[in-house]
Amino acid sequence: MPTMTLTQTLVMGLLQCVAVLILIFVMVPLLTFAERKVIGYIQVRLGATRTAGGLVGITGALNRGMWSMGKLPVLSILRGLPVFIADILKLILKEDIIPAKAERSVFTLAPIISVMAAFGVFSAIAFFPGVLFTFPAKFPIVGGLPFMGFISDVNVGVLYILGLSSVGVYGIVLGAWASNSKYPLLGGLRSAAQIISYEVPLTLSLLTPVVLAGSLNFKDLSIRLSTGADMHWLGAIPLFVGFLVYTTCGFAETNRTPFDLPEAETELVAGFHTEYSGMKFGFFYLAEYTNMIVVSCFASAFFLGGYYLLPFGLQRLIPASVPFLGQPSILFFFLKVFAILFLFLWVRATLPRYRYDQLMDVGWKWLIPLTLVNLFVAALIRFAF
Amino acid sequence: MSFLRTLIPFDIIGGLTVTGRYFGKVFFSANRKKIRANLAHFTQEYPEVPVKLQPRFRGRLTLLKDEQGEIKCVCCLACEKICPTQVITIEKGKKEGRKMPFPVRYDFEMERCIFCEFCVESCGFDSIILNHQFELAGYNREDFSLGMDGLGHNMFEPSPVGRHSVAED
Repeated sequence: MPTMTLTQTLVMGLLQCVAVLILIFVMVPLLTFAERKVIGYIQVRLGATRTAGGLVGITGALNRGMWSMGKLPVLSILRGLPVFIADILKLILKEDIIPAKAERSVFTLAPIISVMAAFGVFSAIAFFPGVLFTFPAKFPIVGGLPFMGFISDVNVGVLYILGLSSVGVYGIVLGAWASNSKYPLLGGLRSAAQIISYEVPLTLSLLTPVVLAGSLNFKDLSIRLSTGADMHWLGAIPLFVGFLVYTTCGFAETNRTPFDLPEAETELVAGFHTEYSGMKFGFFYLAEYTNMIVVSCFASAFFLGGYYLLPFGLQRLIPASVPFLGQPSILFFFLKVFAILFLFLWVRATLPRYRYDQLMDVGWKWLIPLTLVNLFVAALIRFAF
Repeated sequence: MSFLRTLIPFDIIGGLTVTGRYFGKVFFSANRKKIRANLAHFTQEYPEVPVKLQPRFRGRLTLLKDEQGEIKCVCCLACEKICPTQVITIEKGKKEGRKMPFPVRYDFEMERCIFCEFCVESCGFDSIILNHQFELAGYNREDFSLGMDGLGHNMFEPSPVGRHSVAED
């Protein structure tokens, strides 16, 4: 790698941040659209198939255009696709109301904290362990420089990510308190209790791959786990259990069903974001879906093999000389990310919400002992072999 | 044993299997270019695709015609008598080359009709049915007084809303 000047470093960093931002801003609306479609299909209906009700005007023209694309009906997925543009437009154009009795500064700060905690995590996530492409020499500043698959290569990336992602609960709690309304406050309290109690098994289950691989660097950890370098094949067992526990805790951390108690709409109107509207609500929304993507990236990298095809360290069955399947690829990484995201939607359409005491039961009485035992087994495997 | 059953989420896996099976069914039948005969999903895309109704659906009253295009009604007035809201008015008449009586007027006031299908049940000659038209909204009151001829108030024509239905294209 050629040594870079300060300007080059700054420009490259900026470019990579912009690339990740674009990735988030493309994936989140598509994810909301996918949520409508997947839940629709699971409930034996079609989900979103038109942008608005009318047959006249802009939306009407859009609807008729989608319909005239082929013999009726064209692919059900294609017809509903403009819905996600309408979603974004609605959030941006909506009036931003701040309640008269709300604490204005904190009320405004809360969604920003949520979004920043969700976005900041991406700086330590590696989408690909090496160079994605090299800029051709004709570009003015960045010519000849490699575009890496990660923003920064942090030594203690896992620690950094865990620390930053638990800042997100501040956004929820502060927003709930600043709304000066009873339902958001209750939602915020529930959220604080839930996220703090699920942070423990989440971190403990993430310790299993850390112990097995012996690294805290996101990229190294993922590669060592998937290729099985200096890891016994028995390590697949604690990894699998850890994967199940991690996904469960991931559902709780991102406030998704069946653990969506902070926004239980039958009990608390909409939970912590009852008083929010417009783009401030959009920020909470963005943060929730970004957190889903973060959790999926984690599960993909640490448990499902990351940049390699086979999960749980089984990649050693395929020798590295095999052309495509034996090599790391960004495709495999995103394939697993999408699979976990689909699991999020699938579980939401299947399971009902847990009661509050059941939630605490699952967290403290089952998941924490399970992860402790799992961690012990992992340490034993690491120590013995 | 119960410890293991709590630890391993069999019930959750079972539930996910059921919903996943439905997802697959709908996904593979809905995302086709052509309409298939047995779609897996229950909802219908009404304005664009014609609705499939149940055979026993009770829509608007219509006189039936035989193979020669003659109206089958013989003016026995059974439907007029049995109608609970008295929406049917028949005027008996004669026609050249037809032995049976012929309805000169057959008026049907749809605004009072309760779609009970007593008229169809009472008819001994199978000459009236409630057809499958359901786009019955009208733009004024006169749209609901239907007769045998005319443009706007003809019971053989589609209703004013049905005439502009997207499903017809």
